[in-house]
Amino acid sequence: MSGPSFLRSGAFPMTRSLSVKTVRTMALAALAAGAAMALTAHGAAAQTLKAVKDRGTLNCGVSTGIAGFSAQVDGKWTGFDVDFCKAVATAVLNDPAKVNYVPLNAEERFSALQGGKVDLLSRNSTWTLEREAKLKLLFGPVTYYDGQGFLVPASRNISSALELDGAKVCVQAGTTAASYARDYFAANNMKIELVTQPGVQELVKAYESGACNAMTTDVSQLYALRTGFAKPVDHIVLPDVITKEPLGPVVKQGDDEWFNVVKWTHYAMLNGEELGVSSLSLDEALKSDKPDVKRLVGREGGYGAALGLTDDFAVRIIKAVGNYGEVFERNVGTGSKLAIPRGVNQLWSLGGIQYAPPVR
Amino acid sequence: MTSALKTIGLAMACHMGLALLCGGAYAQAFGPRSAPNATPLPPGAVGNVSVPRGAPGATMDIGDQPGLVPPEDDTAQMDPAYRRQPVYFRTTEAPGTIIISTSDRYLYLVEGNNRAMRYGIGVGRDGFQWQGLEKISRKAEWPDWTPPAEMIQRQPYLPRFMAGGPGNPMGARALYLGGTVYRIHGTNQPDTIGYAVSSGCFRLVNSDIIDLYGRVPVGTKVIIRQAVTL
Repeated sequence: MSGPSFLRSGAFPMTRSLSVKTVRTMALAALAAGAAMALTAHGAAAQTLKAVKDRGTLNCGVSTGIAGFSAQVDGKWTGFDVDFCKAVATAVLNDPAKVNYVPLNAEERFSALQGGKVDLLSRNSTWTLEREAKLKLLFGPVTYYDGQGFLVPASRNISSALELDGAKVCVQAGTTAASYARDYFAANNMKIELVTQPGVQELVKAYESGACNAMTTDVSQLYALRTGFAKPVDHIVLPDVITKEPLGPVVKQGDDEWFNVVKWTHYAMLNGEELGVSSLSLDEALKSDKPDVKRLVGREGGYGAALGLTDDFAVRIIKAVGNYGEVFERNVGTGSKLAIPRGVNQLWSLGGIQYAPPVR
Repeated sequence: MTSALKTIGLAMACHMGLALLCGGAYAQAFGPRSAPNATPLPPGAVGNVSVPRGAPGATMDIGDQPGLVPPEDDTAQMDPAYRRQPVYFRTTEAPGTIIISTSDRYLYLVEGNNRAMRYGIGVGRDGFQWQGLEKISRKAEWPDWTPPAEMIQRQPYLPRFMAGGPGNPMGARALYLGGTVYRIHGTNQPDTIGYAVSSGCFRLVNSDIIDLYGRVPVGTKVIIRQAVTL
């Protein structure tokens, strides 16, 4: 998988800025102004679905390299967010390969979307009010619930962040992680000693050398950093998450048809998992007598065509990339070195909060 | 709702004192040596396909290996994804309940406050035969092993009886489920965790079953969830 090779080469995923925000206020103001202009220029006339069909490729904005989410491995884009690009391309163009990946850093990602350089952003971006209200963007469904957490040595034998009273916590300077950690400890009447490090590599070194006995940043990054440790399994990420970092695909405002296609691509994969429709069970699913399965696979209802796709769009997506659980496990879960538990991203019916509206 | 949840619902109703209403079903479901709440799964639920561990339907074609002594640190061979760890887990079940999810090969011990201790498991074919609710009826350290006749038929080389110990396929501890032949047990084959294997029920590495054994008393509620059927 991309995780370990990425990390072993020393190229820590430093460009990622999931929640631990590095975007400056000034940059945001400029983006907001750009958003207003972009809206005037393209406005309600946006017909992204038709444009993508005419062009024959999907322009999909991804990260410049985040292990497990979007990274180039042997010249090929892979990852959880990349599979979402492939899923949309499959839904619209019936071919997961018809994606033009546009790597974007944290500063340029939203202006690229506003300016029409990409049709869709699938790049670890946190859904916030600012981004919808000021940047005039729309977030689709939350494909991955992230948030700030804590990594500790497994030998400490603790299972909750509430047991961290008096901990020395390593944190990266210039991020919001330090203040969130301080607030969390204060709110729970615990003492904290922050050990601040200038960069990600220093952060890992400090933790591994024992300068601190816990490390904090977003959970997905904790798992990514752990793959670079000498013995990853000797460290665990506690289940407590102290911030909300809902990540999902982003589109421009003013194109409801396209927004629907993006939303229902995710919901098709999620409903697929919930109903037991996977890349391995498609043949069986197509013969199912269950009404909800019949509607998902397009044998009833005519919903796909009404979206501007075909009635079997869910089948084609699941055939190409799998259902939500398959995509999760392959890229960041049990099938990857990251080994991130489904946790909060488990289906709502099985212990998590991933919930899709019904196909009917 | 999935049939799994419906089945559990029925079983719970029975446990809550509605035995008169569903006494027949209860007796049938919880009678000795029967599969609890036996809900037959469709053929193919335990497939012969071998796909990567973690993917749905990952199987390992391996028989029992009595006499094989696992390494002392038996978690060392495990994929990190299957090592014991506390996880986020939302449930309406009470703390102390065990929930076994056969499709993703995990056992959860509910701890309350949206968390659970998660253990990686291997699931033998017997573990796929039923879903629903049971209770731990007995606990045993280093259990003896008497392979049932159908297992002998599949693997004629197996001993008819094997005393408990490190080379015993039952592993270090066993938690017996109700009046059934099924149990949550250890293993002398730690590399089978994460897979569907040819025999046995729910297996954990010995260090994990020892940990779990120390946390759950007799009477603990055990919920088994199978993959949803099409």
